[in-house]
Amino acid sequence: MTVFATVAALAVIASACGGGSSKSSTPTSAAGPATTAGIVDKSATDAKPVPGGSITYGLEADTSGGFCLYKAQLAIGGIQVARTIYDTLTMPGGDGKIHPYLAQSVTGSANNTIWTIKLRPNIKFTDNTPLDAATVKENLDHYRKDNQLFVFVFADITAVDVVDPLTVKVTSKVPWTAFPWFLWSSSRLGIMAKAQMESPDCNTKLIGTGPFEFVSWKFGDKFVAKKNPNYWYHDPKTGAQLPYLDQITYVPQEDGAKRTGSLEAGDYQMIHTSDALQTVQIRTDVAAGKLADTESDKYPELGYSMLNVTKAPFNNLAARQAFAYSVDRVTYNKLRNAGILQQASGPFGPGVDGYLAVTGVPNFDPTKAKAAAAQYKQETGKDLTFTISHTADPSTTQDAVLIQQMLKQNGGITTQLNAVPDQSTLINLAIGRQYDAVLWRNNPGADPDTQYVWWHCGNSPAAGTNPNGAAPCDNPVNFGGFNDPVINSDLDKGRSAPLGPARTKIYEEINKRFASQLWNLWSQYTLWTVAYKTSVHNVLGPALPDGAAPFEGLPTGHPVSGLWCDNGQC
Amino acid sequence: MIVRRLIQLIVVLIVVTFFASLLTSFLPGDPVTTIAPFSSAADRAQIRNQLNLNENIVVRYGDWLGHFLTGDMGREYAGTGVRGQAISARIQDSLPRSLLLMLYVQILTLLIAVPLGVYSAYRAGSRFDDLSNGFAFLLLSVPVYVVATLMLLFLSIQNHALPSEGWVALTTNPVEHFKHLAMPVIAITVGQVAIYARLLRSDMVATLQEDYILMAKSKGISDGRVLWRHALRPSSLTLLTVAGLNVGSLIGGALIVEVIFHLNGLGFAISDAINRRQYVALQDYIAVVAIVYVLVNFAVDGLYRVLDPRIRGARIG
Repeated sequence: MTVFATVAALAVIASACGGGSSKSSTPTSAAGPATTAGIVDKSATDAKPVPGGSITYGLEADTSGGFCLYKAQLAIGGIQVARTIYDTLTMPGGDGKIHPYLAQSVTGSANNTIWTIKLRPNIKFTDNTPLDAATVKENLDHYRKDNQLFVFVFADITAVDVVDPLTVKVTSKVPWTAFPWFLWSSSRLGIMAKAQMESPDCNTKLIGTGPFEFVSWKFGDKFVAKKNPNYWYHDPKTGAQLPYLDQITYVPQEDGAKRTGSLEAGDYQMIHTSDALQTVQIRTDVAAGKLADTESDKYPELGYSMLNVTKAPFNNLAARQAFAYSVDRVTYNKLRNAGILQQASGPFGPGVDGYLAVTGVPNFDPTKAKAAAAQYKQETGKDLTFTISHTADPSTTQDAVLIQQMLKQNGGITTQLNAVPDQSTLINLAIGRQYDAVLWRNNPGADPDTQYVWWHCGNSPAAGTNPNGAAPCDNPVNFGGFNDPVINSDLDKGRSAPLGPARTKIYEEINKRFASQLWNLWSQYTLWTVAYKTSVHNVLGPALPDGAAPFEGLPTGHPVSGLWCDNGQC
Repeated sequence: MIVRRLIQLIVVLIVVTFFASLLTSFLPGDPVTTIAPFSSAADRAQIRNQLNLNENIVVRYGDWLGHFLTGDMGREYAGTGVRGQAISARIQDSLPRSLLLMLYVQILTLLIAVPLGVYSAYRAGSRFDDLSNGFAFLLLSVPVYVVATLMLLFLSIQNHALPSEGWVALTTNPVEHFKHLAMPVIAITVGQVAIYARLLRSDMVATLQEDYILMAKSKGISDGRVLWRHALRPSSLTLLTVAGLNVGSLIGGALIVEVIFHLNGLGFAISDAINRRQYVALQDYIAVVAIVYVLVNFAVDGLYRVLDPRIRGARIG
């Protein structure tokens, strides 16, 4: 039931690169909890898809600010909606690699400083305007200039040029191996029509090339999209026109238990959740044949305690070690997540380049915890004490209380809890570095280079956006403020290194560096579950245009073009 | 009378919205950071400017009031260079939902509470009275969210008898409309019935001691006629007052029910505006609740005169 403060606005950039990922499925027990460690997809079938039907999909939250993508701050709910209306130039596949999607090809120059994006011909937006290089350039320029997070993400891009009506050239100031991953950016880099980008109602009048066409959106109520009858992509397996469904209605329902209840009651046909206890409930329904689900902890996000290392006590390694040794993560997982989540060994989850099962992260050890706390006192002359900030919802409060008790009992560390009313306030604390420790969730898995923006210091173009002025790390979205020369250097090297074992080694070093320096204290990898009526099929979507199997990660939603229902009745 | 009420409406509107403005300025955190956490310095300055956050609260309030009185409710803030949703559109959508919810709750409450209160008063001190008294306290002590959750579990999730959430307009499908609103209305009504029935009972008990009731009984008028025709009307004033005062809390305060059943009414809109620091929207919503509140109580005052002729033209001193 770990509900770490979702960094909703933030957990959107990371995409994944990836070493190859073999499909690993660990069956769950009929009703009881089991660690997933892979993907379980009950929507896959060899039956012939049937067009028709509509789905009501319960989302974790609505999207404040709307869907002008270059301005938007999308969390999982917003990304799921965006995937319905928009396509991205690239998309990851089941092989853990990035593949062209709207683009026919994305090709790097010899040293990967120039990337050429060749578009597929004859693709139209739902306003009947063509997808062309000028529109893609305008999109990319907006993203790199007007989106306050992508400003950092695309800081290395120096120019975006139109070569011909279907070709765009992107120039980077450094060799950028994983650049195609950034054209996906967790499905956030959707391509909008010119008319939308230039409209003052850019956030509410959505025009994309995607499988569905925007109908209406009432904030907090519902988002309705109808089938795009001229969608450019056809099911490679059957040749049928996609999408199969006639309509999708997204309903925001922030209460996870209520979302599951509405699915059970039949008011929704699909939901998503990262709440472990809801997943346990869903597994019971699945075992009883009432529902089906797709679970995945591949390419996962991370739950963790983020530490502010710009001030005492966590500018001291002994303090960080005392915290790490005090928390019994196995017991925590059992008590708060029904034991079904995987322990996180580092920032890169299974399937991500740089993932290591063993990184040297300290394991629970009360003796070492007390020793580290004593060392802190010896070095600073002060008792180790600090505040843990968290959102005030009951579930996260229980998480915080359990950690507080473990710190006291195992490390003799006194802490205070700071329950803030909502995620926005927590993000404010993080941006202003006005916290000691905070319960956090971020860093969805993809190519490890996509984490660059969160951890790198030293080349941020707009340090002044930190509302509280200069800080030890000039990157305002490195919320912990750590400025680690090894990580900075490895991130730079990893960005430009060609794919292969040497690059993997670089990210493994970063992984180990986190484990030794303890900039963040990892808890568990998140497990995302998409649950649905048994009549719903093909959650992961069709194969990609180049034949690659669909992506198996769920932290950034899933495609909807291939969804279909038995007899067209959902 | 109308002029006096109009003045009252304006005074209430100003006082309520000014205090709302004052209270929102005490909300923790920088609203600009909440609205646009990753904005550039220029964008932040523009947002501050647009929302008048550099001005003091009186200037800010005056600016809002000027726009509101001229019918310009503004738009939600969505980002620099992006036009947010029109606040009037959200009010247009959410206010009827809250008003209908309130209306159905009041009707159902009165339909149950009045007979219950009258009969309890008639049988004051009897076993039935004791039982209804105990039952009323039981209903009062059960929070709305408990009733709502239990109904959801039994009527929706387990038995699929009623939809678990959502709104269907009366004009779109009347049957579905009432099916969707059945549980929200009942959830709120449960507590209201207890209050109304107890109030009416105590007033009725007092009324039934009056000489004119004795006179009516001595004339051989049936108990039913005495109760419903002679005792109920003068006993209803307190009930009516409470029903009127309840309107405000039902419109803006049905938040829990609106959230649980995903009705997206005005209560939900207010909570959402607070969470997203949409100050202008919040002021507008509160002003609308205040206006409805005063108008309903205005109507209640009129009803006093119908129920009790002595009130017509009455003046103190």
